[in-house]
Amino acid sequence: MLELVDLSKKFKQMDAVKNLNMFIEKGEIIGLLGPNGAGKSTAISMLSSLIEPTKGDVRFQNKSMIKHPAPLRKVIGVVPQEIALYEDLTAEENMRFFGRIYRLRGTQLKKKIDEVLEQIGLTDRRKDIVKTFSGGMKRRLNIGVAMLHDPEIIIMDEPTVGIDPQSRNYILETVKRLNKEKQMTVLYTSHYMEEVEFLCDRIYIMDKGNLIASGTKDEIKRILSAEKTISIQAERWNDEFIEELKQNPTVNRVTVGEKEITVIIPKEVNMFSAIIRMAENADMELHSVDVQTPTLEDVFLHLTGRALRD
Amino acid sequence: MIGILLAKFKMFLRNPWTFLLFTGMSIGFALIIGGSGLTTISVPVYSEDAAIQQSFISKKLEESEAFTFNWVTENELKEEISAGRAEMGVILLEDDYRFIIGVDSPNRSMLEQTVRAAYTEKLQQENNLAAADAATDAEKEKVLENLQDTMKSPVFEINRSSFRSSDAIIYDDTFHRLFGFTLFFVIYTIAYNVLPILVEKKDGLWDRIILSPVKKWEMYVANLVYSFFEGYLQVLIIFLIFRYWVGVDFHGRFLETLLVLIPYVFSIVALSIFITALVKNAQAFNAIIPIISVSMAMIGGAYWPIEIVESEFLLALSKINPLTYGMEVLNGIAVYGYPLEQVLFPISILLLMGVVLMGVGIHLMERRHV
Repeated sequence: MLELVDLSKKFKQMDAVKNLNMFIEKGEIIGLLGPNGAGKSTAISMLSSLIEPTKGDVRFQNKSMIKHPAPLRKVIGVVPQEIALYEDLTAEENMRFFGRIYRLRGTQLKKKIDEVLEQIGLTDRRKDIVKTFSGGMKRRLNIGVAMLHDPEIIIMDEPTVGIDPQSRNYILETVKRLNKEKQMTVLYTSHYMEEVEFLCDRIYIMDKGNLIASGTKDEIKRILSAEKTISIQAERWNDEFIEELKQNPTVNRVTVGEKEITVIIPKEVNMFSAIIRMAENADMELHSVDVQTPTLEDVFLHLTGRALRD
Repeated sequence: MIGILLAKFKMFLRNPWTFLLFTGMSIGFALIIGGSGLTTISVPVYSEDAAIQQSFISKKLEESEAFTFNWVTENELKEEISAGRAEMGVILLEDDYRFIIGVDSPNRSMLEQTVRAAYTEKLQQENNLAAADAATDAEKEKVLENLQDTMKSPVFEINRSSFRSSDAIIYDDTFHRLFGFTLFFVIYTIAYNVLPILVEKKDGLWDRIILSPVKKWEMYVANLVYSFFEGYLQVLIIFLIFRYWVGVDFHGRFLETLLVLIPYVFSIVALSIFITALVKNAQAFNAIIPIISVSMAMIGGAYWPIEIVESEFLLALSKINPLTYGMEVLNGIAVYGYPLEQVLFPISILLLMGVVLMGVGIHLMERRHV
């Protein structure tokens, strides 16, 4: 349905996106995952025809959209990372404005506004001015105005940034429901691993402009299938303990966080008792030692050596 | 395009405070600082002959609407002039007068006319009394009363007109302040209406609209038409208030005055677009607009007549300043009474500036992805 072929974007001397290849099928929820600065927003700006790529192609139904993006623009709805609304207008006036620019008029527009306001749970606040809304409500309206013209594909650029957990859950549920009930194709970018795990059928992981992994959740987790993760928590860290862990020949990787050390080891190795002994030798009091199955966060850690929100 | 305009008008009606503030400031400054018949220029006056203070001359001077004559001692008069508290002073003699000039401003010739008119009238009155053979005070009073009654219904009237050199400068404080402050404050109103283009682009609103069937040129046209409308509405309101409330008659050229404001407002919209394209963000825009507008007002003749500026450099700068041409056009129509054809040159320059600045501004905005 929609395909990115060797898509690259260079800003002056910086490669924002390098040879990105990606496809989206109808009805899928695709996650584009990566830390801040990974190139996600640049990628979706190219995909939605807002910026022209330096190299590569965006193909919709097997036709290039680089020079003539009109057919693609007709079927996409974009939810930008910023709150792209007129804050001095009411929720309903914003809806009417964005509906009108998509050539909706009269009863059709009114019906659509009622429907979308219901979907995003803002019917009772429709007459209120947007600047009086909470962050979560603004985010919901930001999504709502992108749905007025019934897009086949909705592209969401980190739509839950800076909002409370309750509003975040509401948005995630709404996205899931739209996908299920309306067969809406969703491209969802985020640096929250749990959002992508909850929503997406397939995931693309980007870092520093490169695509570093792609596949279904299980396929990606299988990257670490030969390994397991041990999470160690303690009051304070001892350099001797960390050094001993790193020197251990069976350990594949050690990542030291503020309150947690993550150790990746081969699946068949049992290091539990060795860790306890190392802690005793280093005179260090452990809070917990937890052996986990790999998460997407672990995969990202494994692939880049950094946590997603570093 | 209509949708964008409707949204802009709705937001204007909901939040008109910036517009009202600048409109109010234009009117306030023009009324308070300007002439408008509400303020006068203070002139210290002295005479060795104490009788002159009670004489016909003194009474005629008191009738002046433009000047307030304050009786002072000779030393006080000199001190006020040398300290710069007064532009000029007058020493009255029985049949003559002397000026002491501190600042050679256009007010000097106006003061000279006022004092000369008082002495001329005194001389006429003396000639009338001599012709009537009035010897006693009672006879003189009777003659003057009869003369005044007769003058109420004269036998015939003389309409006179005068010719002046094309180099002559006419300074009308009321018009100068009105035009100056109106053209100055409207820069802010227009600039702060163009600024949302920058903010909306940063906030992703423009991206949203670009993805819709609305064309990019429609987005620019809607925003610029709206900025033009608000700027023109402001100058229209100010001029209407001065015409019908304050009572400034624009020498019968009110409609033409409103008409020639159009190229100026257009050029300021274009200038605002150009500045918006050059700055990186709204903070930079907010910092730069007061600097540009005040500089434009200073070298464009909004605060003081451009004719008193002597620096060649400043005069050269004034040639690339839309406000200079705005003042020239308005003064040409309302003060000098020129026909429209005679102000076509500054109008053409304003239109040219508008087209060039708008073209370059939009091009820069698009290239820089502002």
